[in-house]
Amino acid sequence: MTQKIVVDFGLCEANGVCMGILPEVFDLDDQDYLHVLQDEVTPEIEQQVKEAVRQCPRQAISIREE
Amino acid sequence: MTTPKVKFDPVSQEYFDNPYEIYQRMRDEAPLYYDEDEDFYALTRHEDVAAALKDHEAFSSSRGCDLAMVRSEEGPQKSIIFMDPPEHRFMRSLLNKAFTPRAIQSQRETVVELVEHYLSQADPDNFDVVQDFSGPFPVEVITRMAGVPEEYRQQVRHWIDQGLEREPGQLGISERNMQAHIESGMYYYSLVQERRKNPQDDMISRLIAAEIPGENGEMRRLDDIEITGFVGLLGGAGAETVTKLVGSAVVEFAKHPDQWQMLLDDRSLIPDAVEELLRYVGPVQYNVRYTLKEAHVPSGTIPAHKPVFLMKAAANRDPRAFTNAEKFDITRDRTEAQNLGLGYGIHSCLGAALARLETSIALEHLLDFMPRYEVDFDGLERVHMQNVAGYSRVPVRVLK
Repeated sequence: MTQKIVVDFGLCEANGVCMGILPEVFDLDDQDYLHVLQDEVTPEIEQQVKEAVRQCPRQAISIREE
Repeated sequence: MTTPKVKFDPVSQEYFDNPYEIYQRMRDEAPLYYDEDEDFYALTRHEDVAAALKDHEAFSSSRGCDLAMVRSEEGPQKSIIFMDPPEHRFMRSLLNKAFTPRAIQSQRETVVELVEHYLSQADPDNFDVVQDFSGPFPVEVITRMAGVPEEYRQQVRHWIDQGLEREPGQLGISERNMQAHIESGMYYYSLVQERRKNPQDDMISRLIAAEIPGENGEMRRLDDIEITGFVGLLGGAGAETVTKLVGSAVVEFAKHPDQWQMLLDDRSLIPDAVEELLRYVGPVQYNVRYTLKEAHVPSGTIPAHKPVFLMKAAANRDPRAFTNAEKFDITRDRTEAQNLGLGYGIHSCLGAALARLETSIALEHLLDFMPRYEVDFDGLERVHMQNVAGYSRVPVRVLK
């Protein structure tokens, strides 16, 4: 079973908190559009992804088990 | 001897004077506070408030966000803060692109100009931070974005203040409150009419042109009442909040001169200071929700159909969430817990980035204007308002 990062783009308002925590995964472009550069939650980034989920002021990020 | 049961009366003089002592007792003694006299609940622990803010299905905004509104039979006016999904999402998406941290940078010059303007007129020997500075400047920024002509911008904040005021003991809306709501509503309504004829590059015109999905799934335009409500909210939320945060900031730094000195020595700490101010003396004390069904939070269960105060200011000083929570410390570890000062979840502050920008620029300029100052603590006056706290007067003397 793998874990995937899911972003609700209807909720995301480009606050960039996630990018501050994990820029290798969350990237905001010049149009304020969020790109998830790697959607698989690997053990190396799991803690930071969880932190991004928690700190997103919009609660737009979640982790889905697949 | 037993201690009397803790009482939270949102319009008592005691609460207006010092909310934080009451919060501490509520967190410790009655995390699931129930008020028998007024039949409402209140949550004060961080984990409970955060959980309730996340659970918008149980804790609904659709009946309004203050006690009087939630109780009223008619229901609240149409406004984005009184909506649940999916309507909330449609409305929010109309303006949220204008408030992202990146987009809001376009307001930097305006904010700097206004901050410099008001400080240049201030008398260093007799300076009231709120009356002379943090009152007048934020309202200019947001009303300009909204599209209010210059000559009416200051009037907007007087309407807001008059609408939010509560006399001790006054839980409902007074005639004076109502008068302010009606006057400002009529003014915005006429402005919307005017913009329909004469569109400009402002938010009112953008809302007039916007479309949202209607009940039958077809796209529809907003009506004048909806736009009036939205603009009124922007003017309110975008002005008096920063007014209070900056006023409280000056008071807290007067009590903690070592931390003011840290900012003088290192301006890069300003963003951390803004976050700590939002946690420690954030203006928004609570928002009320209404349980559409039985609701569950870590401290217990709240029955359906009850008003619930979500006390963000109490949660932000919960020692269960923050180390030395009652201590003002701009260097604290901000990752310990979510700062609820700007809300959390679907209704979190739309203008968060603007609030941070304005407060940062205000602090930067105050550091130059009054590197050393003293507050006349006897001259402080607190506001008495629905759901927000702060000062209406902060007299300061700049030291040479």
